Amino acid sequence: MSELDFSRDELLACWIAAQMRNDDRCFPGANLPVPRAGNLLAHLTHAPDLKVGIGMVRTNLLDEPVLEPFKFSTDYRMARFAEAVIIHDEIFDNPRHSSTVFFVGGIQIDRYGNTNLIGIGEDPKRLKLRGPGSLGTVSSAHYSDRYYLYTPRHDPRVLVERCDFISVFGHGEGGDHRARLGLDRFNAGPSALITPLAIIDFETPDHRARIQSLHPGVELEEVQAATGFELVVPEEIPRTAEPTAEQLGLLRERIDVDGLLRSS
Amino acid sequence: MSGPRRTSVVIDEEQALDMVADGMTVAIGGFNTAAHPMVIVRGLIRRGLRGLRVIGGTIAGLELDLLIGAGVAEEVITSSVTGEALASIGPFFRHAAESGAVRVWESDEGILYAGLRAAGQGLPFLPWKAGVGSSLPDLNPDLKVFTDPIAGEQLLAVPALRPDVCFLHVSRSDHYGLGQHTGSGFGDRLLHRAAAKTVITTERLVPNETIRANAFETSIPYADGVIRAPWGAHPYSSPGHYLVDETHLNEYLAAAASARSGDRAPFDAYLERYVTGPASHVEYLEQIGVRRLIELDEWT
Repeated sequence: MSELDFSRDELLACWIAAQMRNDDRCFPGANLPVPRAGNLLAHLTHAPDLKVGIGMVRTNLLDEPVLEPFKFSTDYRMARFAEAVIIHDEIFDNPRHSSTVFFVGGIQIDRYGNTNLIGIGEDPKRLKLRGPGSLGTVSSAHYSDRYYLYTPRHDPRVLVERCDFISVFGHGEGGDHRARLGLDRFNAGPSALITPLAIIDFETPDHRARIQSLHPGVELEEVQAATGFELVVPEEIPRTAEPTAEQLGLLRERIDVDGLLRSS
Repeated sequence: MSGPRRTSVVIDEEQALDMVADGMTVAIGGFNTAAHPMVIVRGLIRRGLRGLRVIGGTIAGLELDLLIGAGVAEEVITSSVTGEALASIGPFFRHAAESGAVRVWESDEGILYAGLRAAGQGLPFLPWKAGVGSSLPDLNPDLKVFTDPIAGEQLLAVPALRPDVCFLHVSRSDHYGLGQHTGSGFGDRLLHRAAAKTVITTERLVPNETIRANAFETSIPYADGVIRAPWGAHPYSSPGHYLVDETHLNEYLAAAASARSGDRAPFDAYLERYVTGPASHVEYLEQIGVRRLIELDEWT
């Protein structure tokens, strides 16, 4: 990355920012620093009306000089940004009030956009690896207008042919599987998968994973070799848009002041 | 004024623990690394209770990991057991879930809340859509996929999750069980509504007048018992009071990791020093020490 003056994570934050709309609502988690930065960057640029929940509060952030990151999602000091309080169980009385856009992680993500936070192994009573658990992903992804899959690791152990267990159902076994289960009420499945190497979408007739863009400096062979299934490749592969100086300035001076994104 | 007087519901740790028997369903409030009623968590271990079904916050912290490690929890009902930035997954939870030593009521936050609401409303179940198509109903046989009689679509039936006793930690309470959180209170209100009985531990025990001066902040009206417990969420944060004691949690995590790789001595020493050794909350705080506690002040 020496020839470029931005990091991969900064690139991803800027790509995420571009997906956010002014009328969205979002609730970026403390433990997903890249989506958090992307959401906040959108807010400070083209989405001043974005409703940003952090921790357990809804916020007014626009005039804050520095959007200090917090280590724990329950840190009460976020109350300094509050204009309303989030009572956690009430989120699930209408999750769409909290998030029109949501970000889902996975210890496995498969070619049809299914994700797994549960565990790895064949026998659920003898897991090889227990995952962190589904958190709020199953419900929040279901109710959002758009949701994105995000992994900080792009390798064949994460991007697998088929998840051992499914926490968030993407397109199941492909085709119209999602619609057949009545899961298409609020969205049509994951909008994209964001990885350190590429943006991958599911815009194929059977919803198999397809390369949407490669990040600057990344070659197709490198991505395919790091993926545990065959990716659909369009005839022309665009490059992921590079950050602007304004975006990098905001990230470094107001959003990511500790340099968490810059270091990777 | 003369006339009848209200009855105080202030109790001590031992009276609260007397409400719990082996095999019960117990809720432990708070969320992630905040506001867990740790006086009770340590007390359950000290008493040697066994076979508990433990409902945590919908994202639980390492207090559930501790209950697993100490052999108290037989089943955990939460979407995750995590130390957030300190540990993405609790070491004992991970090990026990991998080996099948503890049952995991596989779910997500929305599903858990549906089960708690069903309990509060006295219903056998409530329907929930998200999770249809996922592995959750395969892994958790309590979740039944059914066809709804109105629109004919597939839904999950989430059975009522009814705690026999719910333990929560609040910022202040009076002697009559009128508890107030500082901040959101996370999912504590719903745990209270779902439970047969609720006991709160409180940072400060205040006069009824103090509660009435800010009645709109009363988040847990009429708990069945109140325990005065300053620093009662330590080593977790208590909103409006103090931050996470990361040093302590890292000490716990190192001991738990050692147990996972076969050497249980550091964890046994941890239990002796902080959990089974101290006979009361005050003795626990003495073990932690004044200097550490003061350093955790939220706004320093």
